[in-house]
Amino acid sequence: MPDLIAKTMPFLRLPRPGPALAGAKLPGLVIALGSMLLIWHLGAMAVLPWIPAPADTAVEIWANLQSAEFWHDFRLTLARVLGAFALATLLGAAIGILIGLSERAEAFFQPLLALALAVPDPVYIIFAILAFGTGETAGFVALTVAVAPFVSNIVRSSVHARDRGLDEMARIYRLPRSAFLRESLLPQLVPALLTAARFSFALSWKLAVVVEAIGQPDGIGASIFESFRLLRMREVAATAIIFILAMQLLERGLLGRLEKRLLRWRA
Amino acid sequence: MSAPDTVLKVADLGVSYGAATAISRLDFEIRRGEFVAILGPSGCGKSSLLNAISGLMAPSRGRVVVDGDELYLPRSRDPRLGYVFQAHRLLPWRTVKQNLEIVLAASDVPRETWDARIDEILGILHIAQFRDSWPMRLSGGQRQRVSIARALLVDPSYILMDEPLSTLDEVTARSLRQELTGICQRTGATVVFVTHSIREAVYLADRILILTRGPSTIFEDYRVPIERPRDYDDARIAEVEADIIRRIQAPWGLGPAEERQSA
Repeated sequence: MPDLIAKTMPFLRLPRPGPALAGAKLPGLVIALGSMLLIWHLGAMAVLPWIPAPADTAVEIWANLQSAEFWHDFRLTLARVLGAFALATLLGAAIGILIGLSERAEAFFQPLLALALAVPDPVYIIFAILAFGTGETAGFVALTVAVAPFVSNIVRSSVHARDRGLDEMARIYRLPRSAFLRESLLPQLVPALLTAARFSFALSWKLAVVVEAIGQPDGIGASIFESFRLLRMREVAATAIIFILAMQLLERGLLGRLEKRLLRWRA
Repeated sequence: MSAPDTVLKVADLGVSYGAATAISRLDFEIRRGEFVAILGPSGCGKSSLLNAISGLMAPSRGRVVVDGDELYLPRSRDPRLGYVFQAHRLLPWRTVKQNLEIVLAASDVPRETWDARIDEILGILHIAQFRDSWPMRLSGGQRQRVSIARALLVDPSYILMDEPLSTLDEVTARSLRQELTGICQRTGATVVFVTHSIREAVYLADRILILTRGPSTIFEDYRVPIERPRDYDDARIAEVEADIIRRIQAPWGLGPAEERQSA
């Protein structure tokens, strides 16, 4: 299976586990997963009978992986997540940089940002569906509006905390504005941008599932909601587990490699 | 009337921050190829002076003229200055060569000459082998050499050095001081060097502008009476240092303990 992933989706390849993972983290990981499976199994057997057993769920996962319908939903949701993630991250980062550099922009955006951060995410989803109907636009707008303020907030703090000495260096050597942004400011923001991207991605895929469950006819969220409506809890668990694992792999694989590349000068 | 080879002219310069005055009034000129040290007690306004003559902060009063152009008036060309900061202020995500190229890209130096120019400057500073290294892999002294290389690279009207050796260990600082005099003589650079160390100022400079306590004025424009090359441990340097300490004792308000510390 790892070889298949590596061949078909090279961007999902995880960094090779180092000695630390093999030595210290692996036993902890095994114990944590084992404990979780045990609790799940006991819960399914004795306490809460509507919970599907791990073994049954594994069979359902395998069946889902063979299903063309599942992969259709998966691709749809993935496209929605990546689209909203990209737009929210870019928009949020741009506003964060603007606010960080300009007092006027900060005076204008700060109250809006505070308000946007205070609104619960489902409210965005409901209002977007009311405004745009149940098409693709509603989900896209809801996700972008819900995620972008968090990104702006993280990036703005990083702009404020930048090394002002490098600003002075750029002024002394007459670096043009574009060179200052590209060579001095943006590289300083990389750690914050990566944190914002991780946060944005995590929020995007979780909200995308909620948006699909509430207002879309297709996608992983809609599929989970449909299975829940018909009380097919094995399907709910199987679909959710595959999707969560895929998103985790994507986040660690893609953003992890990006982080390694962008921060290679620290090594 | 300025001398024809005047690079920097500061006239009636004053710097205030609201009601607080950092620099009361400064007048001085620096000629091409001169190495001028600025010496003053802590809080006398040295940083404000550097900001004013580097173009980072407009003075409250007076003029700064670089190569005949007013620094704070609209003009056809920006004077090109070099600056060696106390901390190196290199971009850590760019290699040594890339750090230098960024500065060249912002100047009018033709692209086809960059490589030769970088190699030449790095060679002068004995750091050619670190051309493709990340700054974080270099020692403090090597980073400061790169910072000096960056300042020399753009053929500046003058180079400002803000206590560039103060964060280095004494052995490295000694070696860099010695090289700095050689580099300045070879390149003919005009240098304004801010320092706390009287001995360092005496060793490096042709002239020392001694400032009063803040709000500062010039207490004395002191010409160092020792020919080059100089030896840092030369008894004459110690004598001049002692002479300067005697002179500044009253205006800097130094008691015996402070005097020893300052020296």
